[in-house]
Amino acid sequence: MLELRGVNKAYGSNHVVRDVDLNVEQGEFFSLLGPSGCGKTTILRMIAGIVAPDSGAILLAGTEVTEAPINKRDLTLVFQNYALFPHMTVADNVAFGLTMRGVPRAEIQRRVREALDVVKLPGLDGRKPSQLSGGQQQRVALARAIVVRPRLLLLDEPLSNLDAALRDQMRWHLKEVQQQTGITTVLVTHDIQEAFALSDRIAVMNAGRIEQIGSPHDIYTRPTSSFIAAFTGDINLLEGAVEGDEAGGFAVRLNDGLRVLVSGEVRHQAGARAKLLIRPEAIALASPVEPDGHTRDENVFEARIDDATFLGAQVRVSLRVGDLPLIASVPGHGFEPYPASRTISIPRAACVLIA
Amino acid sequence: MSLLLEAARQPDRTAGRARRAIDWLPVALLLPLFALFVVWYVAPLFGTVLNSFHPHGLSGIRTDEWTLENYLEITTDPYYRTILIRTLSITAAVAIASAVFVYPVALFIDRQKPSVQTYLLLIYITPWLVNVTVKAFGWVLLLGPGGIINTALRSLGLIERPLPLMFNEFGVFIGLFHAQFIFVLLPVWAAMQGLDKNVVYAAANLGAGQATIIRRIIVPLTLPALAAGLIINMTMSLSAFTTPALLGGARTKVLSNLSHEINLVQLNWPLGAAAGVVLLALTFVPILLVRALGRSRIT
Amino acid sequence: MLLIFNLAMIGFMLLPISIIVWMSFTPEAFFVLPFDAFSLRWYSAALEHDGFRNSFLLSLRLAFVSATIAAVLSFLAAYAITRLKAPGAKGLDSFFLSPLLIPHVVLGIALLQFVNSVGLYNNFWALAAAHIIVIVPFVMRLLIASMADIPAEIEWAALNLGASRLRVMFGIVLPICAPGLIAGYVFAFIISFDEIVVTIFMAGPSQQTLPVRMYGYLSDQFDPIVAAVSSLLILFAAAVVVLLERIGGLKLLTR
Repeated sequence: MLELRGVNKAYGSNHVVRDVDLNVEQGEFFSLLGPSGCGKTTILRMIAGIVAPDSGAILLAGTEVTEAPINKRDLTLVFQNYALFPHMTVADNVAFGLTMRGVPRAEIQRRVREALDVVKLPGLDGRKPSQLSGGQQQRVALARAIVVRPRLLLLDEPLSNLDAALRDQMRWHLKEVQQQTGITTVLVTHDIQEAFALSDRIAVMNAGRIEQIGSPHDIYTRPTSSFIAAFTGDINLLEGAVEGDEAGGFAVRLNDGLRVLVSGEVRHQAGARAKLLIRPEAIALASPVEPDGHTRDENVFEARIDDATFLGAQVRVSLRVGDLPLIASVPGHGFEPYPASRTISIPRAACVLIA
Repeated sequence: MSLLLEAARQPDRTAGRARRAIDWLPVALLLPLFALFVVWYVAPLFGTVLNSFHPHGLSGIRTDEWTLENYLEITTDPYYRTILIRTLSITAAVAIASAVFVYPVALFIDRQKPSVQTYLLLIYITPWLVNVTVKAFGWVLLLGPGGIINTALRSLGLIERPLPLMFNEFGVFIGLFHAQFIFVLLPVWAAMQGLDKNVVYAAANLGAGQATIIRRIIVPLTLPALAAGLIINMTMSLSAFTTPALLGGARTKVLSNLSHEINLVQLNWPLGAAAGVVLLALTFVPILLVRALGRSRIT
Repeated sequence: MLLIFNLAMIGFMLLPISIIVWMSFTPEAFFVLPFDAFSLRWYSAALEHDGFRNSFLLSLRLAFVSATIAAVLSFLAAYAITRLKAPGAKGLDSFFLSPLLIPHVVLGIALLQFVNSVGLYNNFWALAAAHIIVIVPFVMRLLIASMADIPAEIEWAALNLGASRLRVMFGIVLPICAPGLIAGYVFAFIISFDEIVVTIFMAGPSQQTLPVRMYGYLSDQFDPIVAAVSSLLILFAAAVVVLLERIGGLKLLTR
């Protein structure tokens, strides 16, 4: 549905988007995720035609639109600040795109009503944007964008101006509307939870480049860079060298001598330097107990516990294996003070090796 | 470059990326006003500057000859020089009086409730929107030899002869101060409104008294606004025409009345043009003066 | 102390204006303040005075024509400057505001000499063009201020929904900055209506605007008919002040 090929954009010497390739499927909910200033909003603006790329091509439904004027692209955009027309009523705001498309008056009325129903905002047609709450303005902006039945819906940080509780509620609402309408959607966000909760696939961006594209689960469990690992959650980042094959995987010798088994095929030469990523919640503060009593899929270490901080849902545990500090995160339910030392286990599958 | 502009570019990708089509819309939108300004503003001013360097002959301007005589005459002739100095002193007096009086007024307004503030401002704005001739006429009724003030003082037996309240510099000063105070008041009041009141509270909290707060905090922070107001105030004083004509009379002419006489009575356009150029040059004096003062305060 | 000073200042500001209004009700044929007998005779004299009536109509027509043209042209130019970021926008905005800093006497001299040399002396449109130059800065300043407040996203949103650029300009930006434009228009109207200096220099014999006629009248004869005309002008100014206050233009004036 949407394709970007080798897109670049620089403002002076500031190269904000570098060689971006993307492919968004029909009906997909796709997110561009990254810290502020990573170039994600610029990509969205290039898709919308607000900004022209320096090089590369943008294709919408197989047709090149790279140079098409902003008002001749069959896509709509919901802005971070909603950009509602302050002098028009809610109904006129929603009707605007239809009026521009020369839709007959009766049909406009019907479709505006439908769209306001979809965003669960009936009965406010006559209000001005200034008389609405932030959440309501957000819904009007969404209705205005979906009412024209665009081929592509672009969302620029749509929830970032809402307070936390409302944001959560709107997030589910957004998902519902997208599923209901089936419009291919590209979301730009810096909020990991939002991207994870809404997206079929996510492109994680850093410094103008796309570092990884994948499902939320892929991104979280198999990050391809330490940046992505750290950006998407807490991580233990360990350094070492690949040692060689081991049954069902291979081994990594960490710098301080610890040997960790990793599942999967060897993608690294023996002796190559590598980084090992372990999510804190993958570390269990117990000996592995499996139905057959085997422990071969686990790394088992003796650890000293330095500190445990109760955070509610989780307990954050600082521990040490030999001299190697690790952070573990265990369920807060049933928390009680730990003894000073403990056996810990880390599943091989939870260890991710990157170059 | 504006994003809108970029968005409006015509597709010329195949012809090479470097070439960008010119966006004609802003040019088209600007053209009517720009053309009007060039023809009816730049050209006349330019023409006047040129005229001021030509001699005046019996049949009008002699455009084939060039001279500095007009400027010499305006600046050295004793009659013209008196007028020049009078213009400058009245302008300075009005500016000083406005700068001194603006703080008590602006502070007073700033301390009132918002609704009262609006009414007070309206009182000061109303004279501004009343026709200058009308205002001057009001002062003539008040200050004239047979005017209300003199009549009242005489009937009270306080004076025997009418006080010379107009047909002199004093009358012009009163009229101009009254007409132009608003240009200083509005920016200073707006700047006070914009002041972070926490700064004032902080100063009070540190033990500063009322007078200190005004002198050390409020006045320095509103000085740029005062400067901006004074520039307009002085520009208006320099070019005031009706007020000095009606309140000063024939004996208290200022530069603008003189220009009128030269251009429309003597019909000496080169000299009149030179008078205009001198007046124009003088209006830059307040701007430069205020700039210089502003700089010396910062350093 | 502060209160007394401010009451004195307010008195000073309103004194000449109130005196005129008071004086205009005198039944006498010369300037005396009426205390027990009031009369409207000078008002009826003013309304029957052909010269004043013609001048009033001329001033009205001139103010209407020049304020309208100034508002339209300023809107187009301000849009190009602030929203389209036309090349040289910064310099152009100072250029269009610059007549504010040029003494009207200088403009008057320049236009007198110019209009005579191109043979447009005593021409209505020549005078209107001069008034437009004088009032454009006032309209322009208010328009630039109100346009600068409009977020770019509003325009992008309209374009994104398929609006043409002209549609965005007139359907979105124009209504949003309407208060600024109306305040600017009212302002321009009264400034043109009251303009005397440029007019007295360049106007021809058939262009006696109301301020010019009043000035001429005051210069050679003195009777309370001027007080009545002045009072009507004061009433007019007061109406404008109320109007400006209603549309929130006062806030814009202080920016």
